[in-house]
Amino acid sequence: METSREDVGIAIRSAFLRKGTQQRFSLFVLVVFSVILIYLETIETKPLNGIRSFVKDVIYRGAAVSSYPSKIFSTSYSFFENHINLYGNYNELIKENEELKDNISKSDFLELENSQLRKLIEEQIESPSNFASARIMLDKQSPYLNSFVINVGSNKGIKNGMAALDGKNFIGRIVDVNFFSSRVLLVSDLNSKIPILSEPSAYHAILSGHGTSEPTLEYLPENHNIQDGDKIYTSGKEGIFIPGIPIGEAKIVKNKIKVLLFSDLRQITFINIDLGALD
Amino acid sequence: MALHIKKLQFKFFEILPLLLLFFISLNGSSIINVKFFSVNIHYILIYYWVLRQPQSLGYGFIFLSGIISDIVLGFPLGVNALSLLFVAGVAAYIRVVTVRMTLLNDWISFIPALLFANFIYFTSLYISDYSVDYLYLLKSSIFTFIFYPVLWGLFSLILSLTKS
Repeated sequence: METSREDVGIAIRSAFLRKGTQQRFSLFVLVVFSVILIYLETIETKPLNGIRSFVKDVIYRGAAVSSYPSKIFSTSYSFFENHINLYGNYNELIKENEELKDNISKSDFLELENSQLRKLIEEQIESPSNFASARIMLDKQSPYLNSFVINVGSNKGIKNGMAALDGKNFIGRIVDVNFFSSRVLLVSDLNSKIPILSEPSAYHAILSGHGTSEPTLEYLPENHNIQDGDKIYTSGKEGIFIPGIPIGEAKIVKNKIKVLLFSDLRQITFINIDLGALD
Repeated sequence: MALHIKKLQFKFFEILPLLLLFFISLNGSSIINVKFFSVNIHYILIYYWVLRQPQSLGYGFIFLSGIISDIVLGFPLGVNALSLLFVAGVAAYIRVVTVRMTLLNDWISFIPALLFANFIYFTSLYISDYSVDYLYLLKSSIFTFIFYPVLWGLFSLILSLTKS
């Protein structure tokens, strides 16, 4: 028994402490170095942030170049897929067009009524926000982290927490800013929690991502009456984002309120960053 | 001329694991995720080559590839590097204690490597305040384990080309 325990000890020492064949570092040294790095990630100082930003910028550029072949492949694949589905899509679009024509007359009336009411309460109709456009540099949807890397950073005034929009629709927020790049955490991510307001039911809730394309609503009152098709907007609570940015619409599935996003997160090339939200 | 081509071919197959390692990291494709099926090829690649031909994959390169993965996928620096080093560590340990290497031996000993790596991975993420999907972790580990013989076959072919 004593001998076998010694054998295990020797084997572990040999695997972790000795430099193996043609190895420059021992595993133990690198493990310690990794732990130090994880610890350093929790420290926010200017020189460390500068080094981090520089390293990340360099690796993002390298990753963008190396993922170019796979990007071409996925673009060609979706190109062919779109062509195959052309006829079905055409029929759907005809139906949708007819429905939209019906709705236009209704929405014109509502818009007029809305602008008159806004004037009445002397609300500023013009949005104070200003946007910065960005191109998506890396779109690596890890199962653990749904995020984009975009090609603007602190050089364009991007700050942590700013809202990322696809057109006018909310898709996520900035979580990491480097000099020439930033990371957008999408609403579908497990770590994403966004305060929202439902319309017309007017409930405040939190939109939580689950790593899938359909985030859900949490912290709703027990007797809420949210219906399928209710629109979901940012609530602007806590002053994080400006209120009223559209996100998606509610869909009740097995007592869970899922949100069908207005934007298809897999099909985004350019996004807008709301620079005014935090000022 | 033929000798030169042969040498180039040999050199290419020798550095192929390293190229694959960095391609996977830079491309952010360490996990192949198709519907309910997800396989961590990063773990398999490192485990196989450290076990069979450690001189092809230096520990320093494994560490660097982990750091690149962390940056590309948006995790705190060091999380992937640490878990990949643990996979390499288990592989190195198995190499020391095993005399005869077969697919079955490799496959069974891959279980502790997976368990260690995932434990380290999710502990570091938990400490760094990242939410963790435990069910996904379990699913990914099972599929990575099931998929191991397929990549084992492919890598054995590359290894035989290097040796021939």
